[in-house]
Amino acid sequence: MRIAVLVKDVPDLVEELELDESGRGLAVDDLSYVPSEWDDQALEEALLLKEASGAHVSAVALDTGDVDNMLYTALAKGADRAVKLVGDYDRTLPGRQRARILADYLAGAGYDLVMTGVQAVDDLDGQIAGLLGGMLGWPHASVVRDVAVDSGAVRFVQEYAGGRMAEFRSSTPLVLGVQAAKKPPRYVPIARIRQVSRSAALEEVEAGGSPSESLAAIERLYRPEAQGHATMWDGDAEQVAAALVALLDEQHLRS
Amino acid sequence: MTLRTMLMAATIVVALASVGVFSVRGRAIWTVLRRTRPVVRWDRIGERLLSVGTQVFGHRRMVRIPLSGILHYFIFSGFVVLLLDIVGTIGQVFRPGFGIGPWLSLAVDVWVALVLVGVLMAVYNRAVLRPARFHGSDERDAYMILVLIAIIVVGIVVHESFYPVVAASFFHVADPSLKSEFLGNGLYHVWQNLGWTTPTAGLVGYTVGYLMDIGVVFAFLAYLPYSKHFHILLAVPNIFFRNLRPIGELVESPPDETMAIRSFDDMRWKDVLDLFTCTECGRCQDVCPAYAAGQPLSPKMVILDLRDRLVSDWGRSEADAPPLAGGAVSREALWACTTCGACQQACPVFIEHVPKIAGLRAALLEDGDVDPAAQKVLVAWERQGNSFGQPARKRPEWAKGLEFPIRDARKEPVDWLWFVGDFAALDPRAREMTPVVGELLHRAGVDFGILYEAEVNSGNDALRIGEYGLFETLAQKNLKVLEKATFQRVFTTDPHSLNALKNEYRKFGFDKPVFHYTEAFLALIQEGRLPVSPVPIRATYHDPCYLGRWNHITEAPRELLRVLGVDLREMPRHGEQSFCCGAGGGRIWMDESGIVERPANQRIREALALPGITHFVVACPKDVSMFHAAATALGVDDRLRVTDVTELLAAAVGLRATPLPAAMAMGASE
Amino acid sequence: MGPIIVVVEMQSDAMSPASAELLSRARQLARAQSTRVVALGFGEAARGALGSSGADDAFLAAGADAYVPTQAEAALRQVLQETAAGLVLLPNTTMGMDLGAATAAAEGRPMVAYATSLAAVEGGAFKATSQVYGGKLVAEVAVPEGSVVTVLPGSWPADEAVSGTTPVRDLVVAGESPMELVRTIEPDTGDVDITRADVLVSVGRGIQDPDNLELADELAEALGAVVSCSRPVVDAGWLPRARQVGKSGQTVKPKLYLALGISGAPEHLQGMKDSEIIVAINSDPTAPIFEVAHYGATCDILELMPILTERLGGAD
Ligand SMILES: Cc1cc2nc3c(=O)[nH]c(=O)nc-3n(C[C@H](O)[C@H](O)[C@H](O)COP(=O)(O)OP(=O)(O)OC[C@H]3O[C@@H](n4cnc5c(N)ncnc54)[C@H](O)[C@@H]3O)c2cc1C
Ligand SMILES: Cc1cc2nc3c(=O)[nH]c(=O)nc-3n(C[C@H](O)[C@H](O)[C@H](O)COP(=O)(O)OP(=O)(O)OC[C@H]3O[C@@H](n4cnc5c(N)ncnc54)[C@H](O)[C@@H]3O)c2cc1C
Ligand code: SF4
Ligand code: SF4
Repeated sequence: MRIAVLVKDVPDLVEELELDESGRGLAVDDLSYVPSEWDDQALEEALLLKEASGAHVSAVALDTGDVDNMLYTALAKGADRAVKLVGDYDRTLPGRQRARILADYLAGAGYDLVMTGVQAVDDLDGQIAGLLGGMLGWPHASVVRDVAVDSGAVRFVQEYAGGRMAEFRSSTPLVLGVQAAKKPPRYVPIARIRQVSRSAALEEVEAGGSPSESLAAIERLYRPEAQGHATMWDGDAEQVAAALVALLDEQHLRS
Repeated sequence: MTLRTMLMAATIVVALASVGVFSVRGRAIWTVLRRTRPVVRWDRIGERLLSVGTQVFGHRRMVRIPLSGILHYFIFSGFVVLLLDIVGTIGQVFRPGFGIGPWLSLAVDVWVALVLVGVLMAVYNRAVLRPARFHGSDERDAYMILVLIAIIVVGIVVHESFYPVVAASFFHVADPSLKSEFLGNGLYHVWQNLGWTTPTAGLVGYTVGYLMDIGVVFAFLAYLPYSKHFHILLAVPNIFFRNLRPIGELVESPPDETMAIRSFDDMRWKDVLDLFTCTECGRCQDVCPAYAAGQPLSPKMVILDLRDRLVSDWGRSEADAPPLAGGAVSREALWACTTCGACQQACPVFIEHVPKIAGLRAALLEDGDVDPAAQKVLVAWERQGNSFGQPARKRPEWAKGLEFPIRDARKEPVDWLWFVGDFAALDPRAREMTPVVGELLHRAGVDFGILYEAEVNSGNDALRIGEYGLFETLAQKNLKVLEKATFQRVFTTDPHSLNALKNEYRKFGFDKPVFHYTEAFLALIQEGRLPVSPVPIRATYHDPCYLGRWNHITEAPRELLRVLGVDLREMPRHGEQSFCCGAGGGRIWMDESGIVERPANQRIREALALPGITHFVVACPKDVSMFHAAATALGVDDRLRVTDVTELLAAAVGLRATPLPAAMAMGASE
Repeated sequence: MGPIIVVVEMQSDAMSPASAELLSRARQLARAQSTRVVALGFGEAARGALGSSGADDAFLAAGADAYVPTQAEAALRQVLQETAAGLVLLPNTTMGMDLGAATAAAEGRPMVAYATSLAAVEGGAFKATSQVYGGKLVAEVAVPEGSVVTVLPGSWPADEAVSGTTPVRDLVVAGESPMELVRTIEPDTGDVDITRADVLVSVGRGIQDPDNLELADELAEALGAVVSCSRPVVDAGWLPRARQVGKSGQTVKPKLYLALGISGAPEHLQGMKDSEIIVAINSDPTAPIFEVAHYGATCDILELMPILTERLGGAD
């Protein structure tokens, strides 16, 4: 089984999200970036699959900025190959166009299974797994867990609201948007990543310029402060506890 | 064949066999040593010799446990005297008439008696007192050695006693004087009374005595490298080659690729020497907080298990052999270590446990085997630069409520650069004290500044978790701003940061003096810059491992407390022999399952045993949360107040009221 | 403008609330843009729901009873080829994530995900607001005619009553499906039913360490409440799946929802925002949970929980 895991980095939500002057986008240069948490899950699931049934795992990223470290990390964790799709684009490239570039690459790259995070915090114009499925005309599914190889086909579980799930079996090629790996993503020491970055090379694939896609335009990006914000209780833990107890009493909610 | 020829032949055969058996093991060890990593331990010869003097001939660490120290001194010194006997006895056989003179002969007999007393004390210690530290040691080996030693010294007296009988006939020595050999002489008189002075009796008696002595000596020599008693030969070099650099420095120079220990080749030669020097005395186990907490870690067993593994295949493991980390030493044991260093401090032969444990941890980490909570902290350090996963901009938020602005050391020169540290900046409880430190400095007129959001965790704990790369990344981030800033000295409240900045950053060329706040405030008070009035409380002081043990700062905090008028009472374990709170080495973030009783709780109980103590004074932001939690868990927080030195300083200068335990506070208000 | 297509999802033999919400808004938008509403459902069980959907027309892709992503996608694309849709609406659920992006990409239509509001604008287009960056930002998006929009469930109320019956046409989907359903897995109800509790003490990743759950248990006991949680707490194996609130967990409506260290990601909000009173404690004042909470505070939950427990007279 040849698996491609698509990885990307997204702004770290722990830090303040600064907006740019236009008010339509983020100040991309002022933010700190972290690997998208669901992509991490997808990579882990792929590596577990490799350990269980011997797949060949490639990590694939679009060169929109500092993605080298993310790819070396994937190699250090156990991926067999790292592919960087280079071209003239930056972090502001919309997801839809990213998907097109990825689809063009994946169409002829001979993978059986493409795994990626179920979503990312910035995929306003659609989740990558679905976009790729549509562009490539391959079967695909989102919110997936428990992926397994089953005599040339792939089995996986899809999650629905209320804790319901269903198990499917699909022929390949197949695209899966992974929700959670069987185990939390593994840690890889920084020294190991550096070692890999010295000894292994990233495979660079020329992927051309930004394709044209029909897009919905963002007119404004803002913090949702304005709406019904909670009444905030000030003070330390003691005062907050007191306010909460008063609320409980007022609502007759104390048992 | 005469008796002489026979004994000479036997001596040569036994000696050759012994040297042969010895060198088989010796060569094997040498082969392993040659493949290990280098480390310089030939420098500062004078200091090294001095330390051999105090530690070997002065038994400095040994006498911390008096009974063991004394009995060992008897036996140890007996070995020195035994050398005289060997020369004398073999000389007697090979060159008739040879002797070592009356004085040395007297010494031999005196020490024969002392050694026998020592052996009896040792048997009493092992069989009757049975200290827990021997748990896991090879008892058979220990008794075997004691028996061999007893046979040798008894043999000395036996062949001495028959010497007058055989002297004339076999050695052609006319006047065999046994004046100073009082034991041999005494026994000779016994033989006389029994009538065992015939030539045959003499021949048999002397031969038996000679073989008990010289024969067993050579057997002993052959046995040594196969036993814990190898320390007889290796203790001196092991102490000579001890670490004389600042001991707080875990990694001397940046490792080539990784600090992980996967095979014995990844160890430094001194680490392998350590394994064969271990005496199995268990002093390290006795002081280990993880062991005391019921965790599956004993520093002694780490050394012994590594040694046994090395001896089992001489470092040429098959590919499918269990790994060192997680095999020879279990992962649970490795992750249980708080890196407190108590083991190294207690070891009479200066074995270095912590570098081995950290190296083995690094190997686990490379395989992704790390506690999930600790993993989250590693990721937070890498991303946000602090263990709390808080945004960097939150780091200086504690300074907001102050009435004066704190200087930005990135932008203007300052005298003191305050390295705040994660806990002091972000832990909700520890953070309460941080502005008070600022106020105190301000009051003393100190020109100080902080690095604001540019400061990241020092990396001390990351390194001890085995994550050298992350340590280096964090260090480089700090050094980048530190190098641009202008300042004279570094000031910190956090012993972990202090250790990193003082000892671990040296390898990157950072050499500014680093002071702990207890040292700094003591100096300010002594210079009259911070007038204090007495804080009359009775308190005990807990030495943080990274302050006391790893950086030898034990006097300044005590002097400071005395200057503040505190009635200081010491817990039994204090100073460099302090007992760890359990938080170090990343333990504060790890799973606590397997802990029977938290070290911090044991420590609080140790303090409670002191009469009339109302305050448990700490000097580390992590200790504030560890011991506060412990006192709460034991339900004694109403009578024992966990107090940071800062709170006492604040009270002494009139910034805050004296912190009192609830029970006393109530009494005061009534 | 072509019709507005609404893809209807079933939930235990009835139309899901999210689908009803979409149909309500679709009817309003259709009036504004003078067009029709066409509903699409999958499986025989959806026939009744489609008939009373209030849509002008409906298609039923019969065949397999349960949802199979490839079959559903083929059906939707077939409908789109038959009708020049002016807008395609899906709930932003698993189904919406499967079908929305794929259909948009395959058909070359623009796509907007995570919408929480949708309105018609002059000239036959629409305008949406979407939650992005874990709910920390809101994007206002111009939605061109023909777009595919997935809407977060609960974004607006559904109309109370729907009159009339909708003619349901059977859709025969051609072709083999590369994907087959092996089995369906019913939710693990576990030890407690969090949907029945009056008060929920709900913990998120802010709990930091499984050991700290003890603090939440004690608080819940003192409150007579039940402990629930956000998804990462379940994924870490700290609490059973039955305790999870949100999109892929339970939807709860307690009298009081106490959110402790939960950031308020849209997927979580989806499961609890209709609670009567929401109190959120989170050290980050910009956490989106405060947008839906009635009361909030920014203290440390690890500090607050024991204090609160003590005040409530528990854990002595
Ligand atoms: C590494 C580590 C891990 C830990 N893990 C856990 C864990 O898993 N689980 C756990 O429970 N603890 C854990 N702790 C301990 C934790 O830090 C606290 O010590 C613990 O939460 C108990 O403290 P507390 O808040 O109850 O007590 P305190 O901190 O003493 O707080 C009691 C508070 O109640 C206030 N108070 C007193 N009387 C009243 C009153 N009548 N009305 C209102 N307020 C009053 C006091 O002012 C005080 O603020 C851990 C600690 C460490 C360091
Ligand atoms: C298809 C899909 C389905 C999903 N379904 C669900 C679902 O059903 N339910 C669900 O919950 N999630 C679901 N998610 C996940 C969701 O996107 C978020 O990742 C998740 O809700 C975040 O959980 P959290 O708020 O606990 O963690 P975080 O987002 O990490 O938030 C933790 C919060 O705790 C705060 N905090 C940290 N320490 C403290 C402290 N000491 N005191 C106070 N506050 C503190 C932080 O400021 C932060 O805001 C789903 C995701 C996908 C893609
Ligand atoms: S450093 Fe401390 S915890 Fe670790 S083995 Fe030594 S004594 Fe035990
Ligand atoms: S390591 Fe040192 S202290 Fe520990 S048993 Fe060996 S000799 Fe004794």
